[in-house]
Amino acid sequence: MPHTRAVQARILRAAILLVFGVIVGNLLVMQVVKHEQYESQSLENRQLRTRIQAPRGRILDRDGRLLADNVYIADITVPNRCLGRAGPDSTLEKLLTWLRLPRYETLDRLAGEQSAGRPRLTLVANAAMPQIAVIEERGRELPGVKVETRSRRRYLDGPLFGHVIGYVGETLPGEIGAEDDPDGYKPGDWIGRDGIEAVLEEHLRGQAGYTLQEVNAAGRVVGRREVELRPVRPGRDVVLTLSQALQDSLGAAMGGNPGCAVALALPSGEVLAAVSAPCYDPNLFTARISTKDWQALQTDPGHPFLNRLTQATYPPGSPYKIVTSLTALQNGVADAGTAFAPCGGAYQFGNRSFRCWKREGHGAVDHTSALIHSCDVFYYQLGLRLNIDQLAVTARLLGLGAPTGSPLRGEAAGNVPDKAWYDKKFGPHGWSRGVMLNNAIGQGELLVTPLQMAVLTGRVATGLADLKPVFVRDPAPAAAPPSRPLPIDAAHLEWVRRTMRQVVDMGTGTRARVHAIEVAGKTGTAENPHGEDHAWFVCFAPAILPEVAVVVILENGGHGGAVAAPVAGRWLNAYFAQKEAPEVVAP
Amino acid sequence: MKLAWPRNPGEGAWMIPAAYAGLCLFSLATLWSVTEGIHGPYEVMDPGVPKSIFWRQVVWVAIGWGVLLTVRNLPLPWIEEASPFFYLLCVILLAVVLVAAPVVQGARRWFDLGPVRLQPSEPAKIAVILVLARLLAAFHAQEKRLLPVAGSLLLAGLPLLLIMREPDLGTSLVFIAIWIVAVFWYGLSWVLLLSLASPLLSAAFSFYAETVAGSPWPWAIYLLVLLAALTRARFRLLENLGLMAANLVTGLITTFFWEGLHTYQQERILTFFDPARDQFGSGYQAIQSKVAIGSGGLFGTSYLQGTQKGLAFLPERHTDFIFSVVGEELGFIGAMLLVGLYLVIILRGLQIALEARRPFSSLLAVGVVTYFTFHVVVNICITTGLMPVTGLPLPVMSYGGSNMLTSAIMLGLLTNVGSRSFET
Repeated sequence: MPHTRAVQARILRAAILLVFGVIVGNLLVMQVVKHEQYESQSLENRQLRTRIQAPRGRILDRDGRLLADNVYIADITVPNRCLGRAGPDSTLEKLLTWLRLPRYETLDRLAGEQSAGRPRLTLVANAAMPQIAVIEERGRELPGVKVETRSRRRYLDGPLFGHVIGYVGETLPGEIGAEDDPDGYKPGDWIGRDGIEAVLEEHLRGQAGYTLQEVNAAGRVVGRREVELRPVRPGRDVVLTLSQALQDSLGAAMGGNPGCAVALALPSGEVLAAVSAPCYDPNLFTARISTKDWQALQTDPGHPFLNRLTQATYPPGSPYKIVTSLTALQNGVADAGTAFAPCGGAYQFGNRSFRCWKREGHGAVDHTSALIHSCDVFYYQLGLRLNIDQLAVTARLLGLGAPTGSPLRGEAAGNVPDKAWYDKKFGPHGWSRGVMLNNAIGQGELLVTPLQMAVLTGRVATGLADLKPVFVRDPAPAAAPPSRPLPIDAAHLEWVRRTMRQVVDMGTGTRARVHAIEVAGKTGTAENPHGEDHAWFVCFAPAILPEVAVVVILENGGHGGAVAAPVAGRWLNAYFAQKEAPEVVAP
Repeated sequence: MKLAWPRNPGEGAWMIPAAYAGLCLFSLATLWSVTEGIHGPYEVMDPGVPKSIFWRQVVWVAIGWGVLLTVRNLPLPWIEEASPFFYLLCVILLAVVLVAAPVVQGARRWFDLGPVRLQPSEPAKIAVILVLARLLAAFHAQEKRLLPVAGSLLLAGLPLLLIMREPDLGTSLVFIAIWIVAVFWYGLSWVLLLSLASPLLSAAFSFYAETVAGSPWPWAIYLLVLLAALTRARFRLLENLGLMAANLVTGLITTFFWEGLHTYQQERILTFFDPARDQFGSGYQAIQSKVAIGSGGLFGTSYLQGTQKGLAFLPERHTDFIFSVVGEELGFIGAMLLVGLYLVIILRGLQIALEARRPFSSLLAVGVVTYFTFHVVVNICITTGLMPVTGLPLPVMSYGGSNMLTSAIMLGLLTNVGSRSFET
């Protein structure tokens, strides 16, 4: 039926043309008649996805006192391409004039930033109010110029907590995440570089948020509406086990001398205070440290970057006699009353004379008084009755020879030599029993970190084998509190503790005495081949049911009893004083 | 070859391939622009659509041409014979996709086949056109009865229901359009067709009563008007009663169906009636698209210079909203060029349907014309804010293999019919 079909085709064609006519008519209205209305909407209606940096979590001390927080500063930034455009009317020229910026210095710095690939360049960091006012007032003449607020880390106690908290730095090109990764680091983000800041980076960092904002033709935010694409999740706070007040006291007790001191709470192992001096000021790094400052820090003979707590190793010296004594007791070589040839100020071994630190000699001493007065000649003879592996076993039980497992980066293992180690170093049997003399008094190839010595002291004081230093309360540490006893006879440990009490009562450590509290300690004067001896003092208090263990080492300080023990004494005084009259701290 | 609108059968075989080539180039040019960043006084933003989209489309264009030329030269009787099996396969795939396909944004639409995704609703459009053509062609010589019409309704309705279940509201509407035009071309009377369409009107009034009016009165008034109209029509009593019943049922079902819709679907539909309702959801898409097209003006912001597409405000701007990019960058003139290319295919297709000797070929050509008309009209209406956002690609233009292959097969079938107008 060709006729019908032609009619149908006509109807269909008419319907199609009608519908297309409507479409075309509508387009004509939109694009030609109402064009200007839509165009102005389009100009006004541009939107920008904005990333909102998550505020970094704060760092608090155990009493809730602020140690690190963020302050907000304003930067004046210009688009990257600004730099390429010269001419007296260019935005950059106007800015240089209006903001009174040093011309060549500024241009040099911007060129450096540009080569780092930043989309926006920081013209003025931490701008002052008058400068910001200029930008706000003359914004129309300065397309693309923005005042951007950004957070900056502030370390309230400066160098005091430097080595524990560490510092943050701006992300480096290699750390910046992919463009489309919402969780990646972006230029200008902060990243933890050392200490707790680095270790707990993920915890502190938070998650950036994103919003969609309307901007006008000049790139300025005009919109009343702002769509939240993803909310900001602020970084979480970190609560340290350290106390600002106790840290302050420990720093003061050290009196600015180079060295290290650490105090552990017992039996938890929580670090109450840890000072490594000298220390850089971490605030230097949050404001784009200048090359000059950086070089000065790098070449400082005091090594301010060295975290002496965990990275520096020293011979343990006389405090190691605790290890020697315990080894002898455990192996049945000596008891509390054992006596050898009296001390005449030196001990002859082969054709070498080994001196006692007391030139005139201690005379006749037994094991107990030898530890009290730190008689080297007694320990030489005790050492000869032990073998090197027995000594190493005890040393390792007490936490030497391996990192303590602290979260701080680059922790040194120290060195606890054993037979295998000497065989490797000098060849099989290439070493004499003479090494025992040095090892017995904590010299020779032995190396320890101050934190290891604190662990040793804490373990001796509590008898707990798994006592470890803990730096952070929140987030809570994964490990359970220490509970496993040392595989050492309790009577032997008790004898050591009793004897250490006498060291402070009447021996070499009398200068660590504290009013109304009994302190148990051990002094040490570690021979230093590079210079003056290092002064050691290790102690815990009260002697019965100990609460704290304190270790002090003053580099090139001389005699431990004379120099290091008073530091511990001063700090313990402060500790027990603040315990009696606890200061109320606002949460 | 004469470059004039063909007057005689056999002329104008070049028109559809030429229009198709034009659309392919148009698509590639637009996709290139979409995948470029924006270089204005604003900060350069990530274009959001990777350049690889353009290169993939180059491949699809090449494959599309291969498919078109292949389908064009297949023997039509062979296609006619195969159509029921093809239809069956598509229905099975649609059923399987409901069970086995991964849920993407709350819907099951694709099979993931490694580098490509198979969307069974696309071949189903071809299958329904073919199977309707075959069924109605078989009955073409007899008196026009309702039986083949009812059969065709079943054949079109089955895939429609399956696709609605995915759910994919927009795509399922194509089947309604294809069916209506097919039975119209088959020869169903006007009055009958309108009567058959009346249940749909009933559903529309019921929907309006449910969502906007908040009372059943608009629907009740419609039913009264229908009753009055039926008394004047020359139908038998049984037919009258049946129609009233159908109107009642669809109206009531609409109410229940609305309650059963996903919230986002309800939102989209409601947003259509009141775009200010949700400026950042589907209403936001419509607003941004309208602003882009409107700001294009007569001549556009010029190629590669559109700012709306660059600032990522044009959602799905390489797929469903590609027309907005054309409207913004090339303006009214560019949009007219594009619409013109589609009109060449559609009007020439209608002519092919008219000239076709065999009923199957003719119905097939009309089906293809319906497919293109529906897709182009609805897509442009969506981007210009005349219809709610339902996710329907612009044939050939929108990025995607399924879209390109379906269009190429459709045009292959159309040119196939066109090349055989002389054959009996």
